[in-house]
Amino acid sequence: MKRQVIPGCVILIIALTVSIGSVSFLGPCVHDDGSVGACHWASRSLSGLGFLALILSFLAVLLHRARFGLYLGIAGTSVLGILTPGTLISLCKMSGMHCRAVMQPAMIILFAAAGLSALFGAIVCGREKKERA
Amino acid sequence: MKIFPLSMKNLVRKPGRTTALVLLTGFLAMAVFGGSVIILSLRTGLQSLEARLGADIILVPSEAQSKVSFQNMFLQGTTGAFYMDASVTDKAMEVAGVEKAAPQTFLASLKADCCSIKIQVIGIDPSRDFTVQPWIARSLTGELGDMDVVVGCKVEAGIGEIIRIYEQRCKVAACLEPTGTGLDTAVYCNMHTMDNLLAAAEAKGVSHKISSGDDTVVSAVYIKVKDGYDIDTVNTALTGKLRKVTAVRTRSMITGVSDSLAGISRTVTMMIVVIWALAFIILLLAYILIVRERSREFAVLRLIGASRSMLSRMALLESAICGLTGGFAGSAAAAVGVFSFSALIENSLGLPYLIPGFGTILLLAAGTILLSIAVSALASAFAALRLSRVNPGTALREGN
Repeated sequence: MKRQVIPGCVILIIALTVSIGSVSFLGPCVHDDGSVGACHWASRSLSGLGFLALILSFLAVLLHRARFGLYLGIAGTSVLGILTPGTLISLCKMSGMHCRAVMQPAMIILFAAAGLSALFGAIVCGREKKERA
Repeated sequence: MKIFPLSMKNLVRKPGRTTALVLLTGFLAMAVFGGSVIILSLRTGLQSLEARLGADIILVPSEAQSKVSFQNMFLQGTTGAFYMDASVTDKAMEVAGVEKAAPQTFLASLKADCCSIKIQVIGIDPSRDFTVQPWIARSLTGELGDMDVVVGCKVEAGIGEIIRIYEQRCKVAACLEPTGTGLDTAVYCNMHTMDNLLAAAEAKGVSHKISSGDDTVVSAVYIKVKDGYDIDTVNTALTGKLRKVTAVRTRSMITGVSDSLAGISRTVTMMIVVIWALAFIILLLAYILIVRERSREFAVLRLIGASRSMLSRMALLESAICGLTGGFAGSAAAAVGVFSFSALIENSLGLPYLIPGFGTILLLAAGTILLSIAVSALASAFAALRLSRVNPGTALREGN
């Protein structure tokens, strides 16, 4: 049981960092003239995906029976999170910009870590379910 | 009795102890690999800057030094625009010892297509240029046509794409290879295109007029000194002949960068040495503590027929496996961090930063892993010796 909950707790922390970080310290820079670029909307989407992962991981920690499915849901959300900055939503054209230099790599690493944790959690759940059966 | 399966079982059955040892060696490997990649990238960047500048002397208007740090333009891609009379190029050619003189005109764009920062546009004269042209030739086979531009590798625009500079449509003809310097964020065009852009900028209220009122302006003239002539003498002659012009020796600019790089290299190396020394002491202590914990286990192995050399080899093998796993994990973690955030590291250091080739990185990773294994084995050598000499009778009686 403990081995099933640990990935959920790890994802909870990652998801919290993503949902807050993508619109603050890890987010894109603010334009001097107040205009917003595509990277601004990418950061909003990432925050939303982070929030979704946060809810799913919270439920995965609490709900024993639905844990396997919830972990798979988080893994799917993580794939979306990896693809969002740069692939699904474009970012600034200069690689030195904050969205390219900080937000994109940080979000890819965080979502990859969340996805791997979710897959690990799903494998543990599946194996323990099989053992019980 | 086979040593390897037994060592693996020992490691797997004690996950806490194994994880702690792997984490410690992993931390070591991370410091060495990450630090070495940063130092190597800075060195590669400096070599690239040296090769890219190509000229011995750069002539700029006297006001340029106060307007913008000329060094920052090359290192960090800071935009700057300053102008002088275009006749400076011909006057410079009259000075004894000047082999080539290539004019360049700078213009800072208002804004790139979707970024909030300005881009430096550099106009070159393809017939005279000897600094940028060889680099452009690597990416562009034909001539740089009117309203065609060549972009630095950090300006994300594909070949054939149209970028708008002061509402003028410029076609991307080629993308340059990375240099690790501020020149990666620049856009290059020929002088005819630059004249159009200057006119468009003028219409937008960005003036480039100089006090003489001449419309033909240049921002810098790159000078190549003839073989056999002293660069300093030519530099003095140029400063004496040309009024309101400053002659900057490129060597002095590179020396400044080289000094900063040496300082950073020293700091990083010191940090790596301190981390290694501390971690080696911790590993040594950890293995000494393990001797006490495992003396009964080794006593039993002696009783069932294991020789002393077999026991010491087993202890060394266990530490080597921990070193290998830690070295691999640490190098991988450092690689993820250093390569993913290379743009951030480059921005923070403000120095030329160019990641070396794949082969070099692979060699560095292999070296780091070997070093982790060696240090781990060395730290456990004393423990291995003590454990192999354990007296089975005494050890088992002490346990009771």
